[in-house]
Amino acid sequence: MLAEPGHYDYAPYTGRPRIVWPGGARIAVWLAPNIEHYELEPPDNPRKTPWPRPVPDILNYSHRDYGNRTGFWRMADVMARHGVRGSVSLNVAVCDHFPEIIERCCALGWELFSHGTYNTRYFYDLTEDQQRALIADSRETIRRASGQSLDGWLTPAITNDETTQHVLAEEGIKYTLDMVHDDQPMPVKVRNGRLISVPYSLEVNDVPLFQNRNTPVERYTAMVKAQFDQLYAEGAENGTVMCLPLHPYLIGQPQRIAALDAALAHIVAHDGVWLATGREIAAWYTEHYYDTVSSWLASGTPGGRR
Amino acid sequence: MSGPGIPNYLDYKWRRRGLDHDRFPHRNLPQARPTVWPGKARVAFWVAVHVGHFPMDMPRTPFVAPGGVDRPYPSYWDYTQRDYGNRIGIYRLMRALDARGLRATALLSSAVATRYPALVREIAASRWEVAAAGVDMGKLHHGGLAEAEERALVEEAASTLRGAFATPIRGWHSPAHSESMRTLDLVAGAGLDWVADWINDDMPYQVTTSAGALTAMPLAWDLSDQRLLFQQHMDTAEFVEQVLRAFATLYGEAARSGSGRVLTLTITPWLMGQPHRIRALGGLLDRILDHAGVWPATAAEIVDAWRAGG
Repeated sequence: MLAEPGHYDYAPYTGRPRIVWPGGARIAVWLAPNIEHYELEPPDNPRKTPWPRPVPDILNYSHRDYGNRTGFWRMADVMARHGVRGSVSLNVAVCDHFPEIIERCCALGWELFSHGTYNTRYFYDLTEDQQRALIADSRETIRRASGQSLDGWLTPAITNDETTQHVLAEEGIKYTLDMVHDDQPMPVKVRNGRLISVPYSLEVNDVPLFQNRNTPVERYTAMVKAQFDQLYAEGAENGTVMCLPLHPYLIGQPQRIAALDAALAHIVAHDGVWLATGREIAAWYTEHYYDTVSSWLASGTPGGRR
Repeated sequence: MSGPGIPNYLDYKWRRRGLDHDRFPHRNLPQARPTVWPGKARVAFWVAVHVGHFPMDMPRTPFVAPGGVDRPYPSYWDYTQRDYGNRIGIYRLMRALDARGLRATALLSSAVATRYPALVREIAASRWEVAAAGVDMGKLHHGGLAEAEERALVEEAASTLRGAFATPIRGWHSPAHSESMRTLDLVAGAGLDWVADWINDDMPYQVTTSAGALTAMPLAWDLSDQRLLFQQHMDTAEFVEQVLRAFATLYGEAARSGSGRVLTLTITPWLMGQPHRIRALGGLLDRILDHAGVWPATAAEIVDAWRAGG
């Protein structure tokens, strides 16, 4: 086992090369709806059991299914009303199972990136060839369903194995979300090719908040606003990224959807906000800052306290 | 180091248009057939009350139902607090609902009817609908149950309640929302015609079984008192707030879409029937009933209206 991922060196949150987003924006805000399918009868994985109850776990299965039947449509309407696009963390089999959902995403100008095939197919214990086959499947499925290239990646249920980031880079993936170590994009050290990390979030994320931490609805809005306000303030010095991950089976419930509405209203009311997709953030960073930040890292992160 | 691999892990038997089972087709709620409730109501308001019996010696496998005994035997803590619901709490719920002319649907363990005939008489007098909710909360329906054993459980629950109540028993709720692959076939086979186990929709939909069709009813779980108050340790005010938020969303959606919606208030006597909560329940009911276009209905009434095309 490894003692650390080994994909990045320590980089202090001070003295960093300054990032400015398009139009002089100080913060890039992106929404990542996770559009998923959890299988009723998933295969076994040695390191993770998909369902807490014996199969068929119809309670938890149907709770997830709520997102595709009901919650997605409500969530997409709220986002469209605020003019905020999504970057879909997509279990690509959804393209086959529920093509109407993909059509709606495309009509709204959303990005599709891969969250694996199903949220019940983990990367733990897979050979590199199996990982490559899964990534190729994602690339082909997303291209077939939307014409888009596969640029971003979040391993299903964040079950990446030790070599996954290397394989992603070799397969031409441009940005990974598997690491939440930073509030800015960062170069990822891989054995071949070029890969960056773009900030995702396990903090302002409806799964940990509503499912694990029992967060009241009003608190959710307050936390998202606080997250935004702080990153917005810091972005005046050095551009930041805020990701708001969403899961329609949770945020799309009728008791919660207004909490998203209120949070987005707060965000879009600010100047200096770049409402971007993951792909756009990755492209801007790679073009303008990858080399600068890489040199800064290679020279021992000079600069220090401002 | 790369992993050792998992044989056949990339085989996808069910990767196709629609769901990975054949119980019902996928439906996108905005594209569902518009439903018009009686009186052109916007929201059908369904009060579903879990009336369960939790035996003190209930098994702890394959899992413990929410509210089930999870302290060392003999847990008077668990047993008597649940039993409080059937002795005291449910009568408070009845008074709160009766006072507002509301009739609930009791999701009833058949063991409650066997053990407490006085409660059976009161439920009947309140003209609540009664749905079968298994034999008791220790007798779970799950994939490891033999077919004959499960059939006997369904039949015992349905026949006991049919013997206890003069009104028809039409609905089913599996204890703890747990089913085997064949539960719905057995439920339909016992002559029941609606079920409230799957939590994937805000509106009814039709389910296929080997013994005819069932109508699935949207029993709220993420918005139930068991989920919010018991599992997630929220306070009563937050529960009230969330139900009212759900109501506002559904009420607005019905107006915009021209299709009625269902708001399900899923409550439990040992939780909402506590003295410190009952007034909050009354206030919540008043806030909802204050609105025009709310149709208070039992599950069977909603099922019939939905099937009639609304």
